[in-house]
Amino acid sequence: MPLLTRTLTRFRRPWTAVLAGGIVGSAVRTGVSYYLPAAPGRMPVATLTVNLAGSLLLGFYLARREQTVTAPLSLQFWGIGVFGSFTTFSTFSIEVVHLLGQSQAVTAIAYIAASTVGGLTLALFGQRLGSVIR
Amino acid sequence: MILLVTLAGAFGAVVRYLLSGFVQRRIDTDLPVGTLAVNLSGAFLIGIVVGIDDLQSTVGLLAVGFLGGFTTFSTWMIETIRLGIPPLRSRSLFNLTTTLVAGVALAAAGYSLTN
Repeated sequence: MPLLTRTLTRFRRPWTAVLAGGIVGSAVRTGVSYYLPAAPGRMPVATLTVNLAGSLLLGFYLARREQTVTAPLSLQFWGIGVFGSFTTFSTFSIEVVHLLGQSQAVTAIAYIAASTVGGLTLALFGQRLGSVIR
Repeated sequence: MILLVTLAGAFGAVVRYLLSGFVQRRIDTDLPVGTLAVNLSGAFLIGIVVGIDDLQSTVGLLAVGFLGGFTTFSTWMIETIRLGIPPLRSRSLFNLTTTLVAGVALAAAGYSLTN
Protein backbone atom coordinates (compact mmCIF):
# COMPACT_ATOMS: atom_id res chain seq x y z
CA MET A 1 0.00 0.00 0.00
CA PRO A 2 1.44 3.41 -0.92
CA LEU A 3 2.64 5.54 1.97
CA LEU A 4 -0.02 8.22 1.53
CA THR A 5 -2.87 5.70 1.46
CA ARG A 6 -1.45 4.05 4.57
CA THR A 7 -1.20 7.43 6.28
CA LEU A 8 -4.73 8.47 5.30
CA THR A 9 -6.23 5.31 6.73
CA ARG A 10 -4.77 6.28 10.10
CA PHE A 11 -6.82 9.47 10.30
CA ARG A 12 -9.74 8.84 12.62
CA ARG A 13 -11.70 11.99 11.86
CA PRO A 14 -12.33 13.59 8.44
CA TRP A 15 -11.26 17.04 9.60
CA THR A 16 -7.75 15.81 10.41
CA ALA A 17 -7.35 14.80 6.75
CA VAL A 18 -8.58 18.30 5.72
CA LEU A 19 -6.03 19.84 8.11
CA ALA A 20 -3.16 17.75 6.70
CA GLY A 21 -4.16 18.57 3.11
CA GLY A 22 -4.71 22.21 4.06
CA ILE A 23 -1.10 22.46 5.29
CA VAL A 24 0.16 21.26 1.90
CA GLY A 25 -2.17 23.49 -0.16
CA SER A 26 -1.63 26.61 1.97
CA ALA A 27 2.16 26.08 2.03
CA VAL A 28 2.37 25.97 -1.77
CA ARG A 29 0.03 28.98 -2.16
CA THR A 30 2.02 31.00 0.40
CA GLY A 31 5.26 29.98 -1.33
CA VAL A 32 3.98 31.09 -4.74
CA SER A 33 2.88 34.46 -3.29
CA TYR A 34 6.43 35.04 -2.01
CA TYR A 35 7.99 34.18 -5.37
CA LEU A 36 5.54 36.28 -7.37
CA PRO A 37 5.00 39.40 -5.22
CA ALA A 38 2.07 41.63 -6.12
CA ALA A 39 2.80 45.06 -7.58
CA PRO A 40 0.19 47.82 -6.98
CA GLY A 41 -2.00 48.45 -10.00
CA ARG A 42 -0.72 45.35 -11.83
CA MET A 43 -2.28 41.97 -12.52
CA PRO A 44 -1.99 39.80 -9.34
CA VAL A 45 -0.02 37.00 -11.00
CA ALA A 46 0.47 34.82 -7.89
CA THR A 47 -3.25 34.47 -7.11
CA LEU A 48 -4.08 34.02 -10.79
CA THR A 49 -1.47 31.24 -11.01
CA VAL A 50 -2.68 29.27 -7.97
CA ASN A 51 -6.37 29.71 -8.87
CA LEU A 52 -5.90 28.50 -12.46
CA ALA A 53 -3.57 25.65 -11.51
CA GLY A 54 -5.84 24.63 -8.62
CA SER A 55 -8.93 24.54 -10.84
CA LEU A 56 -7.13 22.30 -13.33
CA LEU A 57 -5.83 20.00 -10.59
CA LEU A 58 -9.18 19.72 -8.77
CA GLY A 59 -10.96 18.90 -12.05
CA PHE A 60 -8.34 16.28 -12.83
CA TYR A 61 -8.43 14.78 -9.33
CA LEU A 62 -12.25 14.51 -9.19
CA ALA A 63 -12.35 12.80 -12.60
CA ARG A 64 -9.61 10.36 -11.59
CA ARG A 65 -11.48 9.66 -8.37
CA GLU A 66 -14.44 8.36 -10.37
CA GLN A 67 -12.16 6.04 -12.36
CA THR A 68 -10.05 4.53 -9.60
CA VAL A 69 -10.36 3.24 -6.06
CA THR A 70 -9.10 5.91 -3.66
CA ALA A 71 -8.15 5.76 0.00
CA PRO A 72 -10.73 6.61 2.67
CA LEU A 73 -10.65 10.39 3.30
CA SER A 74 -8.88 10.92 -0.05
CA LEU A 75 -11.53 13.52 -0.97
CA GLN A 76 -11.04 15.34 2.36
CA PHE A 77 -7.25 15.31 1.99
CA TRP A 78 -6.83 16.10 -1.73
CA GLY A 79 -10.09 17.72 -2.85
CA ILE A 80 -11.02 19.82 0.19
CA GLY A 81 -7.62 20.13 1.86
CA VAL A 82 -4.89 20.35 -0.78
CA PHE A 83 -6.66 21.71 -3.87
CA GLY A 84 -9.31 23.62 -1.90
CA SER A 85 -6.88 25.66 0.16
CA PHE A 86 -4.29 25.94 -2.63
CA THR A 87 -6.76 28.33 -4.31
CA THR A 88 -8.38 31.35 -2.71
CA PHE A 89 -11.45 33.49 -3.30
CA SER A 90 -10.92 36.06 -0.52
CA THR A 91 -7.55 37.28 -1.84
CA PHE A 92 -8.99 37.37 -5.36
CA SER A 93 -11.89 39.60 -4.16
CA ILE A 94 -9.73 42.09 -2.28
CA GLU A 95 -7.30 42.31 -5.23
CA VAL A 96 -10.21 43.24 -7.52
CA VAL A 97 -11.29 45.89 -4.98
CA HIS A 98 -7.72 47.27 -4.85
CA LEU A 99 -7.45 47.44 -8.66
CA LEU A 100 -10.81 49.24 -8.91
CA GLY A 101 -9.71 51.62 -6.13
CA GLN A 102 -6.52 52.41 -8.05
CA SER A 103 -8.62 53.27 -11.14
CA GLN A 104 -7.28 50.19 -12.92
CA ALA A 105 -10.70 49.10 -14.19
CA VAL A 106 -9.30 47.50 -17.36
CA THR A 107 -6.78 45.43 -15.37
CA ALA A 108 -9.54 44.50 -12.87
CA ILE A 109 -11.84 43.27 -15.65
CA ALA A 110 -8.97 41.43 -17.37
CA TYR A 111 -8.10 39.81 -14.01
CA ILE A 112 -11.72 38.73 -13.40
CA ALA A 113 -12.04 37.38 -16.95
CA ALA A 114 -8.71 35.53 -16.86
CA SER A 115 -9.57 33.99 -13.47
CA THR A 116 -13.16 32.91 -14.19
CA VAL A 117 -13.06 32.02 -17.90
CA GLY A 118 -9.60 30.50 -17.45
CA GLY A 119 -10.60 28.69 -14.25
CA LEU A 120 -13.75 27.19 -15.76
CA THR A 121 -11.93 26.17 -18.95
CA LEU A 122 -9.05 24.56 -17.05
CA ALA A 123 -11.40 22.79 -14.62
CA LEU A 124 -13.27 21.32 -17.61
CA PHE A 125 -9.98 20.43 -19.31
CA GLY A 126 -8.72 18.76 -16.11
CA GLN A 127 -11.94 16.74 -15.84
CA ARG A 128 -11.64 15.65 -19.46
CA LEU A 129 -7.98 14.75 -19.04
CA GLY A 130 -8.70 12.78 -15.86
CA SER A 131 -11.48 10.80 -17.51
CA VAL A 132 -9.65 9.85 -20.73
CA ILE A 133 -6.36 8.57 -19.30
CA ARG A 134 -6.31 5.05 -17.95
CA MET B 1 6.34 33.49 9.62
CA ILE B 2 5.64 31.52 6.43
CA LEU B 3 5.08 28.47 8.62
CA LEU B 4 2.54 30.28 10.81
CA VAL B 5 0.69 31.70 7.78
CA THR B 6 0.57 28.17 6.33
CA LEU B 7 -0.84 26.73 9.57
CA ALA B 8 -3.44 29.52 9.67
CA GLY B 9 -4.46 28.55 6.11
CA ALA B 10 -4.76 24.88 7.06
CA PHE B 11 -6.91 25.83 10.05
CA GLY B 12 -9.02 27.90 7.63
CA ALA B 13 -9.49 24.81 5.45
CA VAL B 14 -10.87 22.86 8.42
CA VAL B 15 -13.31 25.66 9.30
CA ARG B 16 -14.37 25.79 5.62
CA TYR B 17 -14.99 22.04 5.64
CA LEU B 18 -17.13 22.22 8.79
CA LEU B 19 -19.01 25.44 7.96
CA SER B 20 -19.78 24.67 4.30
CA GLY B 21 -21.01 21.19 5.28
CA PHE B 22 -23.19 22.70 8.01
CA VAL B 23 -24.74 25.32 5.70
CA GLN B 24 -25.27 22.84 2.86
CA ARG B 25 -27.09 20.42 5.17
CA ARG B 26 -29.28 23.15 6.65
CA ILE B 27 -30.54 24.57 3.34
CA ASP B 28 -32.54 22.27 1.11
CA THR B 29 -31.18 23.10 -2.33
CA ASP B 30 -28.89 21.56 -4.93
CA LEU B 31 -27.16 24.91 -5.42
CA PRO B 32 -23.70 24.91 -3.74
CA VAL B 33 -24.71 27.25 -0.88
CA GLY B 34 -22.03 25.89 1.49
CA THR B 35 -19.19 27.16 -0.69
CA LEU B 36 -21.15 30.37 -1.37
CA ALA B 37 -21.47 31.06 2.38
CA VAL B 38 -17.77 30.43 2.96
CA ASN B 39 -16.57 32.53 0.02
CA LEU B 40 -18.87 35.48 0.70
CA SER B 41 -18.15 35.63 4.43
CA GLY B 42 -14.42 35.23 3.69
CA ALA B 43 -14.51 38.08 1.15
CA PHE B 44 -16.24 40.38 3.66
CA LEU B 45 -13.76 39.47 6.42
CA ILE B 46 -10.68 40.00 4.22
CA GLY B 47 -12.04 43.46 3.38
CA ILE B 48 -12.30 44.25 7.09
CA VAL B 49 -8.82 42.88 7.87
CA VAL B 50 -7.03 44.59 4.97
CA GLY B 51 -8.94 47.82 5.71
CA ILE B 52 -7.65 47.82 9.30
CA ASP B 53 -4.04 47.02 8.74
CA ASP B 54 -3.09 46.48 5.08
CA LEU B 55 -0.85 43.51 5.91
CA GLN B 56 1.52 45.38 8.21
CA SER B 57 1.04 43.39 11.43
CA THR B 58 1.56 39.74 12.26
CA VAL B 59 -2.09 39.35 13.21
CA GLY B 60 -3.11 40.83 9.84
CA LEU B 61 -0.87 38.40 7.93
CA LEU B 62 -2.20 35.43 9.91
CA ALA B 63 -5.81 36.54 9.36
CA VAL B 64 -5.25 36.82 5.60
CA GLY B 65 -3.51 33.41 5.66
CA PHE B 66 -6.50 31.92 7.47
CA LEU B 67 -8.96 33.48 5.01
CA GLY B 68 -6.82 32.27 2.09
CA GLY B 69 -7.36 28.66 3.20
CA PHE B 70 -10.91 29.30 4.38
CA THR B 71 -12.15 30.45 0.96
CA THR B 72 -11.70 28.45 -2.22
CA PHE B 73 -11.63 29.27 -5.91
CA SER B 74 -11.24 25.77 -7.34
CA THR B 75 -14.37 24.37 -5.65
CA TRP B 76 -16.35 27.39 -6.91
CA MET B 77 -15.23 26.59 -10.49
CA ILE B 78 -15.99 22.85 -10.22
CA GLU B 79 -19.41 23.37 -8.63
CA THR B 80 -20.28 25.95 -11.30
CA ILE B 81 -19.42 23.44 -14.04
CA ARG B 82 -21.50 20.77 -12.32
CA LEU B 83 -24.55 23.02 -12.77
CA GLY B 84 -23.80 23.22 -16.52
CA ILE B 85 -21.54 25.22 -18.81
CA PRO B 86 -22.05 28.84 -17.58
CA PRO B 87 -23.51 30.92 -20.42
CA LEU B 88 -25.69 28.02 -21.53
CA ARG B 89 -27.26 27.11 -18.18
CA SER B 90 -28.87 29.82 -16.09
CA ARG B 91 -28.23 28.12 -12.72
CA SER B 92 -24.57 27.79 -13.55
CA LEU B 93 -24.34 31.43 -14.66
CA PHE B 94 -26.21 32.39 -11.47
CA ASN B 95 -23.66 30.60 -9.26
CA LEU B 96 -20.79 32.19 -11.18
CA THR B 97 -22.07 35.76 -11.15
CA THR B 98 -23.62 35.77 -7.66
CA THR B 99 -20.37 34.66 -6.05
CA LEU B 100 -18.32 37.08 -8.14
CA VAL B 101 -20.48 40.20 -7.77
CA ALA B 102 -21.44 39.66 -4.12
CA GLY B 103 -17.87 38.64 -3.20
CA VAL B 104 -16.29 41.78 -4.66
CA ALA B 105 -19.07 43.96 -3.23
CA LEU B 106 -18.67 42.44 0.26
CA ALA B 107 -14.87 42.80 0.15
CA ALA B 108 -15.33 46.47 -0.83
CA ALA B 109 -17.93 46.95 1.92
CA GLY B 110 -15.66 45.40 4.57
CA TYR B 111 -12.72 47.47 3.37
CA SER B 112 -14.59 50.78 3.41
CA LEU B 113 -16.03 49.92 6.83
CA THR B 114 -12.61 49.84 8.49
CA ASN B 115 -10.40 51.96 6.24
